[in-house]
Amino acid sequence: MKKDPISLGLGERAISRDPDDVLVAYGLGSCLGISMVDPITRISGLLHAVLPGAASGLPSSDPNSHKYVDSGIEDMLAAVIKEGAIKSRLIVRIVGGANMLISPGMTSSFDIGTRNMDTARKTLQSLNMKITAEEVGGHTGRTVHVYVADSRVTVRVIGEKERDI
Amino acid sequence: MIDNVPFDHDLLEMLKTIASEGITNAARGFSGMVGRKIEVSNPALKLVPLFSIAKMVGGPEDDAVGIYLRFEGDMVGQIMMIMPYQKALELVDLLMDLPQGTTQHMGSMERSALGELGNLSGSFFLNSLAKLAGAKIMPSPPAVMVDMVGAILDIVVATAGGISEQVLLMQANFMDGPRSVEANFWVIPDLNALKDLLKKNS
Repeated sequence: MKKDPISLGLGERAISRDPDDVLVAYGLGSCLGISMVDPITRISGLLHAVLPGAASGLPSSDPNSHKYVDSGIEDMLAAVIKEGAIKSRLIVRIVGGANMLISPGMTSSFDIGTRNMDTARKTLQSLNMKITAEEVGGHTGRTVHVYVADSRVTVRVIGEKERDI
Repeated sequence: MIDNVPFDHDLLEMLKTIASEGITNAARGFSGMVGRKIEVSNPALKLVPLFSIAKMVGGPEDDAVGIYLRFEGDMVGQIMMIMPYQKALELVDLLMDLPQGTTQHMGSMERSALGELGNLSGSFFLNSLAKLAGAKIMPSPPAVMVDMVGAILDIVVATAGGISEQVLLMQANFMDGPRSVEANFWVIPDLNALKDLLKKNS
Protein backbone atom coordinates (compact mmCIF):
# COMPACT_ATOMS: atom_id res chain seq x y z
CA MET A 1 0.00 0.00 0.00
CA LYS A 2 1.22 3.46 -0.86
CA LYS A 3 2.02 5.60 2.14
CA ASP A 4 1.16 9.28 2.47
CA PRO A 5 4.19 11.55 2.17
CA ILE A 6 5.65 12.73 5.46
CA SER A 7 4.86 16.43 5.47
CA LEU A 8 7.14 18.76 7.39
CA GLY A 9 5.78 21.95 8.88
CA LEU A 10 7.75 24.99 9.96
CA GLY A 11 10.80 24.05 11.99
CA GLU A 12 10.31 20.31 11.57
CA ARG A 13 12.69 17.60 10.44
CA ALA A 14 12.34 13.98 9.37
CA ILE A 15 14.82 11.19 8.76
CA SER A 16 13.98 7.92 7.07
CA ARG A 17 15.52 4.90 5.37
CA ASP A 18 12.20 3.29 4.46
CA PRO A 19 11.97 3.11 0.64
CA ASP A 20 8.21 3.63 0.87
CA ASP A 21 8.71 7.03 2.46
CA VAL A 22 8.56 10.38 0.72
CA LEU A 23 9.53 13.46 2.72
CA VAL A 24 8.01 16.76 1.67
CA ALA A 25 8.04 20.44 2.64
CA TYR A 26 5.21 22.31 0.90
CA GLY A 27 5.21 25.95 -0.11
CA LEU A 28 8.64 27.11 0.97
CA GLY A 29 9.03 30.87 0.65
CA SER A 30 11.97 32.35 2.50
CA CYS A 31 12.24 29.08 4.43
CA LEU A 32 14.77 26.47 3.36
CA GLY A 33 14.19 22.80 2.64
CA ILE A 34 17.58 21.23 3.27
CA SER A 35 18.03 17.59 2.32
CA MET A 36 20.86 15.18 3.10
CA VAL A 37 20.82 11.81 1.41
CA ASP A 38 23.23 8.87 1.61
CA PRO A 39 22.46 6.98 -1.63
CA ILE A 40 24.04 3.74 -0.45
CA THR A 41 22.21 3.28 2.84
CA ARG A 42 19.23 5.36 1.57
CA ILE A 43 19.26 7.26 4.83
CA SER A 44 17.55 10.53 3.94
CA GLY A 45 16.86 13.66 5.94
CA LEU A 46 14.83 16.77 5.25
CA LEU A 47 14.75 19.92 7.34
CA HIS A 48 12.25 22.79 7.03
CA ALA A 49 14.24 25.68 8.53
CA VAL A 50 12.67 29.07 9.10
CA LEU A 51 15.30 31.51 10.33
CA PRO A 52 19.08 31.86 9.86
CA GLY A 53 20.48 31.34 13.32
CA ALA A 54 19.66 30.56 16.87
CA ALA A 55 19.72 33.76 18.89
CA SER A 56 21.35 31.98 21.79
CA GLY A 57 23.09 28.64 21.76
CA LEU A 58 20.28 26.16 21.98
CA PRO A 59 21.09 22.71 23.26
CA SER A 60 20.72 20.19 20.43
CA SER A 61 17.97 18.44 22.36
CA ASP A 62 15.86 21.59 22.09
CA PRO A 63 13.08 20.94 19.60
CA ASN A 64 13.45 24.52 18.41
CA SER A 65 16.85 23.74 16.93
CA HIS A 66 15.12 22.62 13.73
CA LYS A 67 13.70 26.09 13.29
CA TYR A 68 17.14 27.54 12.60
CA VAL A 69 19.33 26.91 9.58
CA ASP A 70 22.60 26.66 11.50
CA SER A 71 21.60 24.44 14.41
CA GLY A 72 19.18 22.54 12.16
CA ILE A 73 21.91 21.52 9.74
CA GLU A 74 24.33 20.50 12.47
CA ASP A 75 21.63 18.56 14.20
CA MET A 76 20.48 16.76 11.06
CA LEU A 77 24.05 15.79 10.12
CA ALA A 78 24.58 14.26 13.56
CA ALA A 79 21.26 12.44 13.31
CA VAL A 80 21.81 10.88 9.86
CA ILE A 81 25.33 9.79 10.87
CA LYS A 82 23.90 8.23 14.00
CA GLU A 83 21.50 6.29 11.77
CA GLY A 84 24.47 4.95 9.82
CA ALA A 85 24.95 7.39 6.94
CA ILE A 86 28.53 8.13 5.87
CA LYS A 87 29.31 11.83 5.84
CA SER A 88 31.48 11.77 2.71
CA ARG A 89 28.66 10.17 0.72
CA LEU A 90 25.97 12.64 1.72
CA ILE A 91 24.32 14.54 -1.10
CA VAL A 92 23.16 17.94 0.08
CA ARG A 93 20.40 19.68 -1.88
CA ILE A 94 18.71 22.93 -0.88
CA VAL A 95 15.42 24.45 -2.00
CA GLY A 96 13.73 27.73 -1.02
CA GLY A 97 15.23 30.94 0.32
CA ALA A 98 13.12 33.16 -1.91
CA ASN A 99 12.58 36.83 -1.32
CA MET A 100 8.80 36.90 -1.31
CA LEU A 101 8.38 40.65 -1.00
CA ILE A 102 9.02 42.61 -4.12
CA SER A 103 7.35 45.83 -3.11
CA PRO A 104 9.44 49.00 -3.13
CA GLY A 105 11.04 49.89 0.18
CA MET A 106 10.31 46.54 1.75
CA THR A 107 12.85 44.24 0.21
CA SER A 108 16.29 44.65 1.71
CA SER A 109 15.71 44.55 5.44
CA PHE A 110 13.24 41.70 5.15
CA ASP A 111 15.17 39.45 2.86
CA ILE A 112 15.27 36.50 5.23
CA GLY A 113 15.55 34.09 2.28
CA THR A 114 19.00 35.35 1.29
CA ARG A 115 20.13 35.39 4.90
CA ASN A 116 18.91 31.83 5.34
CA MET A 117 20.87 30.72 2.30
CA ASP A 118 24.03 32.58 3.36
CA THR A 119 23.84 30.87 6.72
CA ALA A 120 23.33 27.46 5.09
CA ARG A 121 26.44 27.96 2.91
CA LYS A 122 28.52 29.07 5.89
CA THR A 123 27.34 26.26 8.14
CA LEU A 124 27.97 23.58 5.51
CA GLN A 125 31.37 25.03 4.70
CA SER A 126 32.36 24.89 8.35
CA LEU A 127 31.33 21.22 8.34
CA ASN A 128 33.36 20.60 5.16
CA MET A 129 30.29 19.72 3.16
CA LYS A 130 29.42 20.67 -0.40
CA ILE A 131 26.03 21.62 -1.80
CA THR A 132 25.35 19.30 -4.75
CA ALA A 133 22.28 21.10 -6.05
CA GLU A 134 20.23 24.13 -5.13
CA GLU A 135 17.05 25.84 -6.27
CA VAL A 136 17.12 28.99 -4.23
CA GLY A 137 16.48 32.72 -4.33
CA GLY A 138 14.14 34.46 -6.73
CA HIS A 139 10.64 35.47 -5.79
CA THR A 140 8.59 32.28 -5.96
CA GLY A 141 7.52 29.67 -3.48
CA ARG A 142 8.62 26.06 -3.93
CA THR A 143 7.74 22.58 -2.77
CA VAL A 144 10.49 20.01 -2.21
CA HIS A 145 10.09 16.22 -2.19
CA VAL A 146 12.70 13.69 -1.09
CA TYR A 147 12.10 10.15 -2.42
CA VAL A 148 13.87 7.78 -0.08
CA ALA A 149 13.59 4.81 -2.49
CA ASP A 150 15.88 6.27 -5.16
CA SER A 151 17.44 9.29 -3.38
CA ARG A 152 15.70 11.67 -5.78
CA VAL A 153 14.92 15.25 -4.78
CA THR A 154 12.39 17.29 -6.73
CA VAL A 155 11.18 20.86 -6.76
CA ARG A 156 7.86 22.36 -7.87
CA VAL A 157 6.78 25.98 -8.24
CA ILE A 158 3.25 27.32 -8.65
CA GLY A 159 1.70 26.44 -12.02
CA GLU A 160 4.51 24.06 -12.97
CA LYS A 161 5.30 20.38 -12.82
CA GLU A 162 7.55 18.67 -10.32
CA ARG A 163 11.10 18.16 -11.62
CA ASP A 164 14.32 16.55 -10.39
CA ILE A 165 17.22 18.62 -9.13
CA MET B 1 9.00 35.09 23.50
CA ILE B 2 5.85 37.03 22.85
CA ASP B 3 3.78 33.99 23.86
CA ASN B 4 4.31 35.04 27.43
CA VAL B 5 2.82 38.47 26.98
CA PRO B 6 -0.52 38.37 28.74
CA PHE B 7 -2.96 39.04 25.94
CA ASP B 8 -5.86 39.69 28.21
CA HIS B 9 -9.56 39.86 27.71
CA ASP B 10 -9.71 43.65 28.01
CA LEU B 11 -7.13 44.16 25.34
CA LEU B 12 -8.92 41.81 22.98
CA GLU B 13 -12.24 43.57 23.64
CA MET B 14 -10.62 46.91 22.92
CA LEU B 15 -9.17 45.61 19.68
CA LYS B 16 -12.58 44.28 18.69
CA THR B 17 -13.99 47.76 19.00
CA ILE B 18 -11.13 49.11 16.90
CA ALA B 19 -11.56 46.42 14.26
CA SER B 20 -15.27 46.95 14.03
CA GLU B 21 -14.92 50.70 13.70
CA GLY B 22 -12.05 50.36 11.26
CA ILE B 23 -13.88 47.93 9.02
CA THR B 24 -17.01 50.09 8.96
CA ASN B 25 -14.89 53.01 7.83
CA ALA B 26 -13.16 50.78 5.29
CA ALA B 27 -16.55 49.88 3.81
CA ARG B 28 -17.19 53.55 3.23
CA GLY B 29 -13.81 53.79 1.56
CA PHE B 30 -14.58 50.87 -0.76
CA SER B 31 -17.90 52.34 -1.72
CA GLY B 32 -16.12 55.52 -2.70
CA MET B 33 -13.50 53.54 -4.62
CA VAL B 34 -15.95 51.51 -6.70
CA GLY B 35 -18.73 54.06 -6.89
CA ARG B 36 -21.44 51.92 -5.35
CA LYS B 37 -22.33 50.67 -1.94
CA ILE B 38 -20.08 47.91 -0.68
CA GLU B 39 -20.88 46.71 2.79
CA VAL B 40 -18.62 44.91 5.18
CA SER B 41 -20.35 42.84 7.78
CA ASN B 42 -19.57 40.68 10.76
CA PRO B 43 -16.06 41.74 11.56
CA ALA B 44 -14.90 39.06 13.95
CA LEU B 45 -11.62 39.22 15.81
CA LYS B 46 -9.87 36.36 17.51
CA LEU B 47 -6.45 35.16 18.53
CA VAL B 48 -5.04 32.22 16.63
CA PRO B 49 -1.64 30.53 16.61
CA LEU B 50 0.47 31.60 13.66
CA PHE B 51 1.13 28.04 12.50
CA SER B 52 -2.58 27.29 12.12
CA ILE B 53 -3.09 29.85 9.36
CA ALA B 54 -1.97 27.64 6.46
CA LYS B 55 -4.62 25.03 7.23
CA MET B 56 -7.33 27.66 7.48
CA VAL B 57 -6.58 28.94 3.97
CA GLY B 58 -6.34 25.46 2.46
CA GLY B 59 -2.99 23.75 2.52
CA PRO B 60 0.56 25.10 2.35
CA GLU B 61 0.90 24.24 -1.34
CA ASP B 62 -2.47 25.65 -2.46
CA ASP B 63 -2.54 28.65 -4.79
CA ALA B 64 -3.37 31.82 -2.94
CA VAL B 65 -3.24 35.59 -3.11
CA GLY B 66 -1.66 37.58 -0.33
CA ILE B 67 -1.91 41.30 0.30
CA TYR B 68 0.69 42.52 2.73
CA LEU B 69 1.49 45.77 4.40
CA ARG B 70 3.65 46.87 7.25
CA PHE B 71 3.14 49.73 9.61
CA GLU B 72 5.59 51.94 11.37
CA GLY B 73 5.62 54.87 13.74
CA ASP B 74 4.75 54.67 17.42
CA MET B 75 3.79 51.09 16.80
CA VAL B 76 5.21 48.59 14.33
CA GLY B 77 3.56 45.54 12.91
CA GLN B 78 2.26 43.84 9.81
CA ILE B 79 -1.05 43.06 8.21
CA MET B 80 -1.50 40.12 5.87
CA MET B 81 -4.67 39.40 4.01
CA ILE B 82 -4.54 35.98 2.45
CA MET B 83 -7.21 34.13 0.52
CA PRO B 84 -7.51 31.12 -1.76
CA TYR B 85 -6.81 32.01 -5.41
CA GLN B 86 -10.40 31.32 -6.49
CA LYS B 87 -11.77 33.57 -3.78
CA ALA B 88 -9.47 36.38 -4.84
CA LEU B 89 -10.87 36.17 -8.38
CA GLU B 90 -14.40 36.43 -6.95
CA LEU B 91 -13.40 39.42 -4.90
CA VAL B 92 -11.99 41.13 -8.00
CA ASP B 93 -15.31 40.51 -9.78
CA LEU B 94 -17.16 42.02 -6.87
CA LEU B 95 -14.91 45.07 -6.66
CA MET B 96 -14.96 45.69 -10.40
CA ASP B 97 -18.70 45.06 -10.71
CA LEU B 98 -18.30 42.10 -13.06
CA PRO B 99 -20.52 39.01 -13.14
CA GLN B 100 -19.11 36.30 -10.90
CA GLY B 101 -16.70 34.08 -12.81
CA THR B 102 -15.56 36.80 -15.24
CA THR B 103 -12.07 37.23 -13.80
CA GLN B 104 -9.97 34.19 -14.71
CA HIS B 105 -6.46 35.25 -13.84
CA MET B 106 -4.52 37.74 -11.79
CA GLY B 107 -3.06 40.38 -14.07
CA SER B 108 -1.68 43.76 -13.09
CA MET B 109 -5.11 45.41 -12.98
CA GLU B 110 -6.53 42.66 -10.77
CA ARG B 111 -3.54 42.88 -8.49
CA SER B 112 -3.83 46.60 -8.14
CA ALA B 113 -7.56 46.34 -7.33
CA LEU B 114 -6.75 43.90 -4.53
CA GLY B 115 -3.81 46.01 -3.42
CA GLU B 116 -6.16 48.97 -3.08
CA LEU B 117 -8.56 46.84 -1.07
CA GLY B 118 -5.76 45.81 1.27
CA ASN B 119 -4.58 49.37 1.47
CA LEU B 120 -8.02 50.69 2.42
CA SER B 121 -8.78 47.93 4.92
CA GLY B 122 -5.38 48.25 6.54
CA SER B 123 -5.39 52.03 6.64
CA PHE B 124 -8.84 52.27 8.16
CA PHE B 125 -8.02 49.70 10.80
CA LEU B 126 -4.78 51.51 11.60
CA ASN B 127 -6.49 54.89 11.68
CA SER B 128 -8.94 53.64 14.27
CA LEU B 129 -6.11 52.16 16.26
CA ALA B 130 -4.05 55.34 16.02
CA LYS B 131 -6.99 57.49 17.06
CA LEU B 132 -7.79 55.38 20.07
CA ALA B 133 -4.21 55.05 21.19
CA GLY B 134 -3.25 58.62 20.36
CA ALA B 135 -0.38 57.21 18.37
CA LYS B 136 1.14 57.94 15.01
CA ILE B 137 1.01 54.91 12.73
CA MET B 138 1.95 54.89 9.06
CA PRO B 139 1.21 52.00 6.71
CA SER B 140 3.52 51.00 3.86
CA PRO B 141 2.22 50.58 0.30
CA PRO B 142 0.64 47.15 -0.14
CA ALA B 143 2.42 44.25 -1.80
CA VAL B 144 0.27 41.74 -3.67
CA MET B 145 1.58 38.21 -4.16
CA VAL B 146 0.25 35.21 -6.03
CA ASP B 147 1.93 32.06 -4.77
CA MET B 148 1.65 29.01 -2.57
CA VAL B 149 0.00 29.60 0.83
CA GLY B 150 3.09 28.49 2.74
CA ALA B 151 5.41 30.74 0.76
CA ILE B 152 3.22 33.80 1.33
CA LEU B 153 2.96 33.04 5.02
CA ASP B 154 6.73 32.74 5.31
CA ILE B 155 6.84 36.53 5.14
CA VAL B 156 4.85 36.76 8.33
CA VAL B 157 6.54 33.82 10.01
CA ALA B 158 10.04 35.03 9.25
CA THR B 159 9.47 38.61 10.32
CA ALA B 160 7.45 37.71 13.39
CA GLY B 161 10.45 35.62 14.30
CA GLY B 162 8.61 32.82 15.98
CA ILE B 163 6.47 29.83 15.31
CA SER B 164 4.22 29.49 18.32
CA GLU B 165 3.20 33.11 18.48
CA GLN B 166 -0.38 34.17 18.36
CA VAL B 167 -1.73 36.57 15.80
CA LEU B 168 -4.97 38.48 15.53
CA LEU B 169 -7.37 37.19 12.96
CA MET B 170 -9.91 39.62 11.62
CA GLN B 171 -12.66 38.12 9.47
CA ALA B 172 -15.00 40.22 7.40
CA ASN B 173 -17.58 39.73 4.68
CA PHE B 174 -17.53 42.08 1.71
CA MET B 175 -21.04 42.43 0.33
CA ASP B 176 -22.48 43.99 -2.76
CA GLY B 177 -26.22 43.36 -2.59
CA PRO B 178 -26.72 39.60 -2.45
CA ARG B 179 -23.11 38.79 -3.35
CA SER B 180 -20.58 38.37 -0.62
CA VAL B 181 -16.97 37.29 -0.30
CA GLU B 182 -15.38 36.45 3.01
CA ALA B 183 -11.89 37.73 3.67
CA ASN B 184 -9.46 37.06 6.45
CA PHE B 185 -6.86 39.52 7.66
CA TRP B 186 -4.06 38.60 9.93
CA VAL B 187 -2.78 41.42 12.03
CA ILE B 188 0.56 40.85 13.63
CA PRO B 189 1.24 43.76 15.92
CA ASP B 190 4.10 44.33 18.25
CA LEU B 191 2.08 43.16 21.23
CA ASN B 192 4.18 44.84 23.87
CA ALA B 193 3.93 48.22 22.21
CA LEU B 194 0.23 47.74 21.61
CA LYS B 195 -0.45 46.94 25.22
CA ASP B 196 1.56 49.88 26.47
CA LEU B 197 -0.12 52.33 24.16
CA LEU B 198 -3.61 51.19 24.94
CA LYS B 199 -2.95 51.15 28.65
CA LYS B 200 -1.56 54.63 28.55
CA ASN B 201 -4.64 55.91 26.81
CA SER B 202 -7.40 53.89 28.38
